Amino acid sequence: MNPLSAAKPFAGKSVAYPRRAPLAAFALIYTIVSGGPFLWVAMMSLRTTPEIFASPYALPSSIHWEKFVDAWTKSNYGTYFWNSTIVVVTAVALLTIIGAMVAHCLARYRFRGNRVVRFIVLSGLILPPQLMILSLFQILLEYRLYNTLTGLIIVYVAGHLAITVYILEGFFAQIPQDLFDAARLDGYSDLEIFWRITLPIGVPALFTTVTLNFIILWNEFLYAVVLLTEDDKRTLPLGIMHFMGNHQLDVGMVATGLMIAIGPVILLYAFFSETMIKGMTAGAVR
Amino acid sequence: MTERAPCGRAAKRFPPGGLDARRASRATLIILLAPALLLYAAFMLYPVLRTFWNSVHTIKPNNVPAFVGLDNFRELLGHDWVFWKAVGNTAIFAIVATIADVLGGLLLALALFSGAPFVRFLRVVWFTPVLMSYVVVGIIWVWIYDYDWGLANVILRAIGLGSLEQSWLGDPHTALWSVMATHIWKWLGFNMIIFLAALYALPADVLGAAELDNCGWFAKLIHIIIPMLRPTILNLTVLSFVGKMMIFDLVWIMTGGGPLWSTETVSTYVYKRAFDWNTFDLGYPSAIAVLWFLIILAFIFGLTQIMRQRDRLEF
Amino acid sequence: MAIVAMTRLNKLYDGGGEPAVTDLSLTVTDGEFMVLLGPSGCGKSSVLRMIAGLEPITSGEVAIDGKIVNEVPAKDRDIAMVFQSYALYPHMDVFNNLAFGLRRRGVAKAEIERRVQGAASKLGLLPFLKRKPHALSGGQRQRVALGRAIVREPKVFLFDEPLSNLDAALRVSTRNELIRQQRELGITAIYVTHDQIEAMTMGHRICIMNKGEVIQIGKPLEVYRNPANIFVARFLGNPPMNLIPTSIQAEGGGWQLRVGGASLPADCWPSEALSRLGSQALLGIRPEDLYETASPPGDRRLVAMARAGVIAVEPLGAETLIVLSLEGVAEEVIARAGRETRLRPGDNAAIELDLAAAHLFDPTTGQVVPRIHDEREARWAKAE
Repeated sequence: MNPLSAAKPFAGKSVAYPRRAPLAAFALIYTIVSGGPFLWVAMMSLRTTPEIFASPYALPSSIHWEKFVDAWTKSNYGTYFWNSTIVVVTAVALLTIIGAMVAHCLARYRFRGNRVVRFIVLSGLILPPQLMILSLFQILLEYRLYNTLTGLIIVYVAGHLAITVYILEGFFAQIPQDLFDAARLDGYSDLEIFWRITLPIGVPALFTTVTLNFIILWNEFLYAVVLLTEDDKRTLPLGIMHFMGNHQLDVGMVATGLMIAIGPVILLYAFFSETMIKGMTAGAVR
Repeated sequence: MTERAPCGRAAKRFPPGGLDARRASRATLIILLAPALLLYAAFMLYPVLRTFWNSVHTIKPNNVPAFVGLDNFRELLGHDWVFWKAVGNTAIFAIVATIADVLGGLLLALALFSGAPFVRFLRVVWFTPVLMSYVVVGIIWVWIYDYDWGLANVILRAIGLGSLEQSWLGDPHTALWSVMATHIWKWLGFNMIIFLAALYALPADVLGAAELDNCGWFAKLIHIIIPMLRPTILNLTVLSFVGKMMIFDLVWIMTGGGPLWSTETVSTYVYKRAFDWNTFDLGYPSAIAVLWFLIILAFIFGLTQIMRQRDRLEF
Repeated sequence: MAIVAMTRLNKLYDGGGEPAVTDLSLTVTDGEFMVLLGPSGCGKSSVLRMIAGLEPITSGEVAIDGKIVNEVPAKDRDIAMVFQSYALYPHMDVFNNLAFGLRRRGVAKAEIERRVQGAASKLGLLPFLKRKPHALSGGQRQRVALGRAIVREPKVFLFDEPLSNLDAALRVSTRNELIRQQRELGITAIYVTHDQIEAMTMGHRICIMNKGEVIQIGKPLEVYRNPANIFVARFLGNPPMNLIPTSIQAEGGGWQLRVGGASLPADCWPSEALSRLGSQALLGIRPEDLYETASPPGDRRLVAMARAGVIAVEPLGAETLIVLSLEGVAEEVIARAGRETRLRPGDNAAIELDLAAAHLFDPTTGQVVPRIHDEREARWAKAE
């Protein structure tokens, strides 16, 4: 985490490098490009709209914390935040346990239908949401799950099972079979082995999928915009879009809303940046 | 202990499975797999099949679905110029943004790999946009592109290029490129991290050997590093390309497909035909979704086939 | 404490291919330390896993104390196993690794505590009870794996190459530790290895396997001195037994073995067996039964002479290996000499072969030709 110590590992790796000054300049510029917009929004979230229109890029002259209270209570962001929290926490919990169960079976057991199960579950990796969204709309209407958080949770779990199983199975398959043989000789049943061996040893991988699913679902937009229309059911991304649509000119308040939406992510990122980077890229590296 | 009969019986019921360390009893398998498979059947497979079924019907609210055969597809391919406009936009988006993502990501990774200061801090900051939702990114960039007070025009005016100022998202000539720039900005960090991991995984011996062969930094990049990264490059290209074929969120948030269909993508068009237009027909957009899925599938197979032939690199 | 009996055991893996185990019959008596020895892929691990109940039996029977256990699940067989990788649970400390197998079996808490402490003190693990496996050295991990088997107080111990991940020095001390524990507890043990030194030093008996079949069962020295066929002759011993092509000739009522230019008396073998062999055979003789001087111990009648050229001399410290080329023989022959030798490469030497320790093999079947039972052999047999 200490940026000063970070340059060291690479210093010894090779000698023939381009000159450092242009490199440092480039790094500085891209740091401003990638991080600047968030700082800008953070500053705007503490300023009132008239202040912003007077001078969009100024530092806050007086800090208006009360804007967050307003956003939370008057602009309904509190409701959106809790909806998002309920949906994401439940869906991630279900995904983790159900995904781990499937991954354990696929990584550990030979059984008839093994390939079929694997194909079915992993087919979700290439099924685009666009292919299911229209009929999911119909189906949730028929099951009376349309416009409910439950419906959205179920759709999220089904939709993200594939990537969860894919990551977990890769990790579980590397746990040596001897451990499972030993536990079996020690008298443990298959379900106990799953609970007492696979899950505890798989914690790093579970952490990865929890992070990945948390971020993706916290940010999810397409399913939510199709499956939720009532205001008190909206999740944060929908809520902000809705507020933006109705109060296009209240830039200050929208900025405060954005900060509420990215707050939890930034907070987690500050503490677990390595885990989150690993989680977000887990599906892409093999 | 030896008289724990139930286990013995269970073993007899499924012989010889109970004794094989790699086998589990049927009950175990059912307990572990059933929740996932039921969810999958009801909320993935059934919707997919139903979309296929929808695509050959006309489905209006409060009406019995009417079978129309391939009419939807015929209309789509033959007469729907908005669809073709969307296909064109999506193709430009997928090709240009993919190339920019992969090259840009590689460039950023190389900058960190070749000894930029504060590497750990930089990779954390540069990765931040990846973690942000499209809604957040979209709204911020709508402001940046704002004609009056947006950063883009403010900077142009400040450096004396005020004549170049634009209504970036309002002008059909610049809207698609502006959205694309935002999309690239969001995903560069992702590609950077993957490339960085691949770079660190390169065998130091080979890089050292290249130096002994009197390779400068640039020669080493061209002759050693990039060829050795080829599997990663191909992998990311496929991932990035397929992702952009489905692009919806950012376009929907920033422009809604406008102005004048200049940013319409296939996915936004599907959404509009299903929920925004007064046609109220779910069959036609389903046909678009099905057709587009088959095209994506063909791309995935084609690209992975190319990868499989080429990526056998021995380190 | 138990008798483990295997009868006509077969193992075929799914997907066909060669059978992993073919018609294996073997009885391990109560308290015995039986070593299954063979090259990798010979089926010895499959046998172990079938005894443990981790692998289904294709056909045949495994019985423990007379009770057929083919259908009994692994956990109900009362067997403890030490794995090559140790299979320590990485998320539990040493105490819990030792206690894990007892908890599930409903052993009382105080009893668990007593047994774990007992095993830990016996194995010198008391200071490490709160450590996790990753904070232990290789030798300590190995002892935890052993301790986990000991606390169970099982009927049978199974060992699957438990020493192969240790370095050479540690391997010797752990070997002795393991032997002592097994002898003390008196628990039947079956030990799989491909290391012949482990087999020779640890086993009450060893069972040599190749390609899924039992080749020879016996006490270590018995097997070493009287290999049943060419495979055992070459597999046991380092350097392995010399196998010299020889032709058999009838001369003046007796039989002679011609090795290159030399002619050796073949009166140790029954003449009907020799005549059945035809003219060709392989003479097997261990490096330590070749002498450079004319003073081998024992019966002069059984010593034969041959002339040889010295190709190389390899001093190993405690002994010296001499690579020889016998006159008229293509294969090189290795002799084991003492610490010092006068021979230098290029020398010519008279080599003596101790025919009392030589073996004749049928080159087509690979089987040994039984010797005539003589006094000297009888003396050895008594000494065992």
